[in-house]
This record gives sequence, C-alpha cells and structure tokens, in this order.
Amino acid sequence: MKNLIPYFTLGYPDNETLLKFLKNIPVKKINYIEFGFPSNDPRYDGPTIRASHKIGNENFDGTSYRKIFDYFHENNIKMYSLSYYSDIRPKFKEFIDYLKMLNFSGIIIPDLIIDYFAESTEIIEYLNNVKFEYIPFFSPATPDAIIKKISSMTDSWIYYGLQPSTGIDIPYEIDYTTERINSLIPGREITYGFGIKTENDIRQLMKNGGSGVAIGSYIEKMLEKGDENGFLEYIDRIRGVLDE
Amino acid sequence: MHKYRSMISTINREIIPENWYNVIPDLPEPLPPPRDSKNDFSSINLLNRILPKEILKQEFTFRRYEKIPDEIMEQYEQIGRPTPLIRAKNLEKALDYKGKIFYKYEGATSTGSHKINTAIAQAYYAAEEGVNGVTTETGAGQWGSATALAASIYNLPAQIFMVSISFKQKPLRKTVMNLYRGNVVPSPSNLTEYGRKILRENPDHPGTLGIGISEAIEYALDHNYRYMVASVMNSAMTHQSVIGLETKKQLELLGEHADVLIGCVGGGSNFGGFTFPFLPDHPDTEIFATTADEVPKFSKGDYKYDLMDSAGVLPEMRMYSLGADFVPPTIYAGGLRYHGASPSLSLLINKGRIKSDEVNQDEVKEAIKTFANTQGIIAAPESGHAIATTLKYVKQHKDENKTVVVNVSGHGLLDLSIFGDSK
Repeated sequence: MKNLIPYFTLGYPDNETLLKFLKNIPVKKINYIEFGFPSNDPRYDGPTIRASHKIGNENFDGTSYRKIFDYFHENNIKMYSLSYYSDIRPKFKEFIDYLKMLNFSGIIIPDLIIDYFAESTEIIEYLNNVKFEYIPFFSPATPDAIIKKISSMTDSWIYYGLQPSTGIDIPYEIDYTTERINSLIPGREITYGFGIKTENDIRQLMKNGGSGVAIGSYIEKMLEKGDENGFLEYIDRIRGVLDE
Repeated sequence: MHKYRSMISTINREIIPENWYNVIPDLPEPLPPPRDSKNDFSSINLLNRILPKEILKQEFTFRRYEKIPDEIMEQYEQIGRPTPLIRAKNLEKALDYKGKIFYKYEGATSTGSHKINTAIAQAYYAAEEGVNGVTTETGAGQWGSATALAASIYNLPAQIFMVSISFKQKPLRKTVMNLYRGNVVPSPSNLTEYGRKILRENPDHPGTLGIGISEAIEYALDHNYRYMVASVMNSAMTHQSVIGLETKKQLELLGEHADVLIGCVGGGSNFGGFTFPFLPDHPDTEIFATTADEVPKFSKGDYKYDLMDSAGVLPEMRMYSLGADFVPPTIYAGGLRYHGASPSLSLLINKGRIKSDEVNQDEVKEAIKTFANTQGIIAAPESGHAIATTLKYVKQHKDENKTVVVNVSGHGLLDLSIFGDSK
C-alpha cells in the first residue's frame, strides 16, 4: 500500500477547527501523519504554509492535541513532527523527549542539512541512538554525495521535495527526478511532496517507484475555509489514485 | 610534439561542448534554496511570469549536464566560439616566471565579453515562447550589449536599463546597444514606477544594478517581456560553463594541467562558468575569485539571505552580500559593483574551496597596462582585476613551475577613458 501522508500545522486555523478535521480523518486511508510545530521562521515553506505557522504560533497550546495524538497512535498511524532546527536547536534533546512522550515516531527537519550541515551528523547519530526516526529531507538542490551520505546514516523513509519550497509552481521533470533519486539510493522508501501539481503527477511518481505522497498546502487551504467535506473527498481521491 | 602549441582557436569546432555543466549536484553541501522575501507572497512563483519556462527549469535543476540545443550551438559559432586559449609567453617573460600562464579570451566574442554566452540562450528560449520582448539591466554595458545582440538575432525588442553613472561614463556602449537595435535608458528611469520613486527622492541618483534589476522586472511584468538574467542565478552560471568546458578541452589538447585558475567576480557568472567545470576532477587546483577593493563582498560582506534586487521583487538568496541597498563607489569596473555574488559561488567560498582576493583601482590599471604591452590585449577593467591577481600570484610564486590560467572575460576597448591623461 502506497503511503498517504497529510500535513497539518498545529494550531491552524484554530485549535477547534483543526481538531474537528483530525477527528474525522478516515484512519484506514492514511498511513502516516505529519504535524508542523509552529515555527518562528518556516523559511523553506511557501506562502500558504508560512501563513499557517504564523497563526499556529498564536493558537497552539501543548495540551489540546494530547487526545488526538493518542487516538492516532492507537490506530497505528505513525506521527512525524516537521520542525525547523532553528526553533528547536536550543532545547533539541528535550524536544525529542517530548515528541517521544507523545508517541511520535520521528522528525523531519527541513533546514538541518541546509543551514546546520556541520551539526547534522551528530544530530542524526543522536536520533539513531535514542531510536527516534530521522527522516532525511532532500530537494533538487541537494548534491548527489549528500543524498548518499545522509541516506546511509538512517534506515527510515526519505522525504523528497519536488520544489524549492512548498505549494509553488516551478516546472519539474518527474522522470528525471525519480531516475536520479532511484539511482542514488536504490531500494529506499521515498515519499514525494512539496508542490505536487496534479493527480497524474502522483500516478507517475508512484509508477516510477515512489512509495507515497505528502500533501500540505492544499489541505491548509481547505482548513482555512473550514471545508471538511472537500477535505474528506480530497483524501478519498488521492487514496484512490495511490491504490490504482 | 603536440599539434597545438600556444593557441587553440576557432579551427576546432569540437572544442565547443555539447552540454552545459551545472555545479549544483557536485557542491560539497546543499545549496540553500531561494527564499521569499515577503511573507504573504511567493516571489519564487513570480519567476514563472518573468523568466522563460526553460530558464526556470534550469534554475532549479539537479541535472549535471544540460544539452545545448543545436540552434544555440549554431549561434555560439556565429559569435566566435570557441574563444581562444592563449599562452601568455610575453607576459611570462616579462615577469621572469618559471611556470606557464594561459589566458582564456572571452573578449574575442562578437560583443567583446562572455556575456553573450547566456544572452543567446535566454533570448532563444524567450523567442520560443513568443513573448513581446526581453528586458534587463546593465552596468558597464557589456551585458546590455549582449542582450541587445541576442534579442536582435531572434527578432525580439530589447529594453535595457543602464546604471545611470555608467550611462554617463560610457556613451559608446549606448551606441553599441543601439546598433544592435536595443532601446537603452539610464536607470533609475521614468519608465517604471520604481524608477520614478527613486528619482523623486534623488534626481541625480547614480543608479545601481539592484535598482536596474527592479526596473527591468517591473517592465517585464507590465509588458509581457521576459527578464534576462545577467549573472548570479544558476541558469546564467550554467550557460557560462562553455568557458570552462572549452578551456578544459583546450588544456587537454595542449597536454597541460591547470594548477591555478583565476577570474573576476561581479555576480559570479564568468568566474563560475570558467572554474566550476574543473571542480569535479581537479581537486588540487587552486582557485581565486577577485573582487574590487571597493566592493569587498567576500571579506566584509556577510554570508546570509539577502535580496537580489533593491525593490525586493526577486526571491532572497543566501550569498555573500554587502546589502541590497549598498551603493558602491563609482569604480571603473561597473560590472563588479553588484552587492552580492552567486549562491553556488558563495557556498564554495564559504567552504574554503575557492579563495578570494581583492585588488584596488591602481593595481588594476597597472595590470591592464602590463597585459596590453606584453600580450597586446586591452582587457576590460573587470578582467583587469583577474589579471592583477594573476600578476600578484605569479610574483609570489616566481620559482614554482605552475600553470596559471586566467579568464579575461572581456576587452576594454570601450573603457579607455579609465586611463584618462595617464600616458
């Protein structure tokens, strides 16, 4: 089964609306779920997700989501945190302990190998030691040697962003993209995200060996409108494409 | 004995590479991606409206090699590629140097500088899209000349915003651009809202490349033109790789190995184009990037996210920068006045793979004179910076048997006023 990974920024558009959406997610249709802990500087996200972080920062409180995290955990949905290292760096270990306590399985840190490359080995080794998954985040700008090196340090799935930031529209070439990543790290579980444009693109990514897709900006727009039905239909549709 | 002795020139068509080289997949660390400069708006998405689609693709591609379309290859031949790689024997003798000095001479192209290498490609892709025209900024006028010629080749109108101080200092450049059918105005200008705003504040503003870029982008958006990227951005760096790829091939034919590579840096395109193709298989080659003393981006600038243009329309890039509002002194080398440098070059400088050097105006003038009276080539003031570093290096390593290769990115025949009354 191919992975469908919806993304939510905690606290966006407000705690009540988000909780309502989360409670109604058909858990059989998704595999993992990704939560953005609101960042002060979500620098590698596009305008939609950036805006959600800003609002999320104002609304998010640590206690509102405890029950829903438990619910996903009980239903075997693996939870991952998307966090910027610039935010968590001062209290990194405490933050990882906190995520483990919440039953999260791992973390995606989009700025780690870009802005803190010198610290990345130590961080990944630490996460390996405490048995918390580090999900490498790569993009077209990640050099070949770095993709190989970072991937070899972990057994987890890989997050490959097709665009320089989320939800934007720069032309990309799927066949070249998948060919490159498959040849650099053959046999690895690769989830694509960051600005996937169409359902046909999803089909092609899966046909070329992709193991799943992460969807974010589109969902944030439905959250903003409170369009729960649209959201459920969307999840259904993408699940359908992945199951073809 | 090798068939070729001291000069490889246009006789060998095979010297022009079939592919451009893109350094991104070979960088030692991930290149920080461009970042939106404003919160509620995607300046990265805006690139869709100002750049030809193919250029945008090349901007973000991880492909190491990009095939040069046949139509562009044909034009590369028309504008004088391959350019010669010449051993500077007279200079070696004058300096009593035990090693060898070669120079790649981009001044031999029809517009007299390397700028045409990317202008041809960008105008070609813009024409393929059927847009109304192309627009850009220019400092010393070399980029404007290249844009005007490339646009003319593909029958596109070209609107060029020339930094006001250069417009006044270099009237002949305007004539050149006009001969190539380009429209040239001094920037800040009255053609854009941004230019009018600057002029209201200071009618005598000398202009900067950052302001010129902002004006050109506004013009592109308002007129369905495409913006031509002079330097800094990855696509321009990639197109300029023809310089380095040709040089590598020419050195190979001569049986030579480059121990040292030297080039000058404005935004970094001639430098990156010349040196990057050597990076993957020349790990021990020393590489020097020369900037003007007056624009000390690598020594006094910060390696940070900063705006590419003054108005903040384009995305921010992580690069060495003196600040987008930096107004440099009116040095001769207009092409080196830019406040920042290409992100890929900045990363390589930051990681220590490429070293930087700064030279002052007097050193540059002396270097141009020395090069002129030994090799007969009157180098552009920008290239004079690279030559000045070469002279410094050779003097410091006089008895070492090294092969030094310098990129002379353009000729200075339209910049003779810099010598004023110094006879």
